[in-house]
Amino acid sequence: MTFWQLILTELKAIVADKAIAVTLFGGVLFYSVLYPLPYLHQVPTEQQLVVVDLDHSSLSRRLIRHADASAKIDVIGQVTSITQAQSWIESGRAHGLLVIPEGFRRDLLLGKGVTLSYGGDASYFLIYSAVAEGLVSAGMDAGKQVQLIGMLAKGEAPKKAALSLNAVKINSIPAFNPSLGYTPYVVPGLFLLILHQTLLIGTGILGAGQWRRKGYWQNISPLKIVCGRISAFMLIYLFFSSFYVGFCFYWYQVSVQASLGLVALWMLPFLLATSAAGIAMSTLFIRRDLPTQVLLLVSMPIMFVSGFVWPLALIPEPLIWVSQLIPAVPAIMGMIELNQMGAAWSSVLPKWLQLWGLFGVFSLLAVYGVSKRLQQSSASQS
Amino acid sequence: MTRLTSIIRRELDALWRSPWQLALVSYIPLLCILCLWWLFSAGLPRQLPVAVVDQDNSQLSRMLTRNLVANPVITPQSFTNLPSAVTAMKQADVYAIIVLPYDLKRDLVTGRSPTIDIRYNSQFLLVGKLLSSQIQLTLGAGLLEVAGVKQLLQGVPKSQVAVNLSPVTSQTTALFNRNNNYVGFLVPPVLVALWQLLAMLTFANGLSRELTPEGLLIPGEGVWLRVIAKVAVYTPLLLLQGGFILTFLYQYLALPAAGSLALLVLAQVVMLLAVWLLVLLVFFIMRDSARMVSFGTALFAPAFAFMGITFPVHEMPMLAQWWRLIMPSSHYIDSHVSVISYGSGWETVAGQLTSYWGFLLIIPLLILLARRFELASTSNEERS
Repeated sequence: MTFWQLILTELKAIVADKAIAVTLFGGVLFYSVLYPLPYLHQVPTEQQLVVVDLDHSSLSRRLIRHADASAKIDVIGQVTSITQAQSWIESGRAHGLLVIPEGFRRDLLLGKGVTLSYGGDASYFLIYSAVAEGLVSAGMDAGKQVQLIGMLAKGEAPKKAALSLNAVKINSIPAFNPSLGYTPYVVPGLFLLILHQTLLIGTGILGAGQWRRKGYWQNISPLKIVCGRISAFMLIYLFFSSFYVGFCFYWYQVSVQASLGLVALWMLPFLLATSAAGIAMSTLFIRRDLPTQVLLLVSMPIMFVSGFVWPLALIPEPLIWVSQLIPAVPAIMGMIELNQMGAAWSSVLPKWLQLWGLFGVFSLLAVYGVSKRLQQSSASQS
Repeated sequence: MTRLTSIIRRELDALWRSPWQLALVSYIPLLCILCLWWLFSAGLPRQLPVAVVDQDNSQLSRMLTRNLVANPVITPQSFTNLPSAVTAMKQADVYAIIVLPYDLKRDLVTGRSPTIDIRYNSQFLLVGKLLSSQIQLTLGAGLLEVAGVKQLLQGVPKSQVAVNLSPVTSQTTALFNRNNNYVGFLVPPVLVALWQLLAMLTFANGLSRELTPEGLLIPGEGVWLRVIAKVAVYTPLLLLQGGFILTFLYQYLALPAAGSLALLVLAQVVMLLAVWLLVLLVFFIMRDSARMVSFGTALFAPAFAFMGITFPVHEMPMLAQWWRLIMPSSHYIDSHVSVISYGSGWETVAGQLTSYWGFLLIIPLLILLARRFELASTSNEERS
């Protein structure tokens, strides 16, 4: 069998196996829609807020209007007591509350300080931060307005008053993901992880189903098998990667900074190392349903340890060391730095070399494992 | 009855002799749970590196930097020029850049209003948003101090200064998860998603043992008797794991729990029954172990995203809200949050459990599919 024939045979074996075909072709398509589905509306806006207005003054009503006008908050109603507001939150009708204390307007005009209380349901993180952001800015606006009225009443020039209220402007701007969207945050890392996991599962099922049976794989040298299999999966994943990193990134409005050539150069050792790792791993199994199970259980830990959801600075060191052996971990971080944050090639080079290193190590393991498996099966047959 | 006990005994025996299945119900959940907790054990984002480019080098800018040092979330790192700070941010070495501009102090004193620029890394949304608000708060407080000194110099009485500066102070309270601890917020849903996967896998493995390589029923008792035996064996085993999660989080780690954990155990039982129904449906349709696991994976792997903890449910598109209902974990998590956070009683939980009604529709479908499955298997037996 020539090398080209081997690749063709491998491709046929992949497509003919229903479980692999479903995971690879079905899974990659299905996940590209399903995973980002909850986040399509991007930014949580208009969180329901209930107000406890104990003051009933012109100023308190103005504050409520201000809060309602904020994009992050939707005032859905007013109640008379805090306990009532709490029960609204517990039943899920509202996600935050604002308490305007009695004497709010009077105290402000008398020049006494007042305290507004905000509460947000912190069981849900994004809701809480949206409520808190919206209310803090509404409260600050109201405070500034009162100050301005006071200063004007004292006879200060409007321009000077405005200036002394905003002595220093603080200009905080998001970089790299300017819309603060949830899909551009999750998609780049998640999609590389899906490619990684499906590739491992595909190679895993294929190998696990073959080792004990007879077939074309038995008459070929282990090195040639490994090379042929890697080439076959690389061909398939060439399309999958183009779809994910190309079309899906565009579709989900992920900001892209690196050139096509650099991204391709980055994907190359990632896919190579992953296929080699998959083949090496497949030699550990002889039951076809096991690779999927094992990989399913490790996918959540891999996602969280790769550093795009939860900051690497907070993950215990030993976990980080161990995770460096998983191709997805350096690949995801490097890809985000390179393609989403626009880092220079030289600064991601160490991770790129690490991926090549992993490719080397896993290839050796794969060749060793395959030759072991083939020896076993020929021994059992003779 | 004796037939059922003998089948249960056989099931237990098979479990004992299957190393993988045994691992799935014993040490694998323990390892996974502890590993995921360890990952998030820092709990609160702390000491996140932030680049400070101090172009002013004045008393004021140094004071602001000291204020930043005092904030536990921020670890300021001094950069002499902007390009090197930008490079560090692109490499994810720092998560934000603060530029204290040249002549900051002079502009402030002479009544011009200077601008302090902050750029935060929103590619890491969680860290970026947190830093943005913390940096603004810290710098704002520092600048207020300066303004206060100015007012004192102008002869404003000290008691009045604070009120003049910020007449409206705000007190923000995180309800139900007081210190915004991520262990309390993120780890429970992550573990529930994991637990659902474990349940799906163990039950699928248990069922696929009844299949011949051709996808037919191994001759013996009727299919339902075996299913009941498996439910009887795996429900308590999985509940043990669920109970371990609850005990670990709310007893050992002592995360605050307002309501009764017993109610959650009840909710877990119902969730497991719903998972069993789904897996049975997949089993009768697929009748192949590898394809069953693949399909179950496709169904349950994204469960975490659909729970609505990280991203609010009512902000999801309709399709996502429907898909969410297919997953038992999203029904369970509602009860979990309401018991843990709001201390809801059994009436609320019972009300929430009725949301599972759609799963009952699977039962007639199962009966239909099971009959066809049995017929195919017996006719095949007769032929051979």
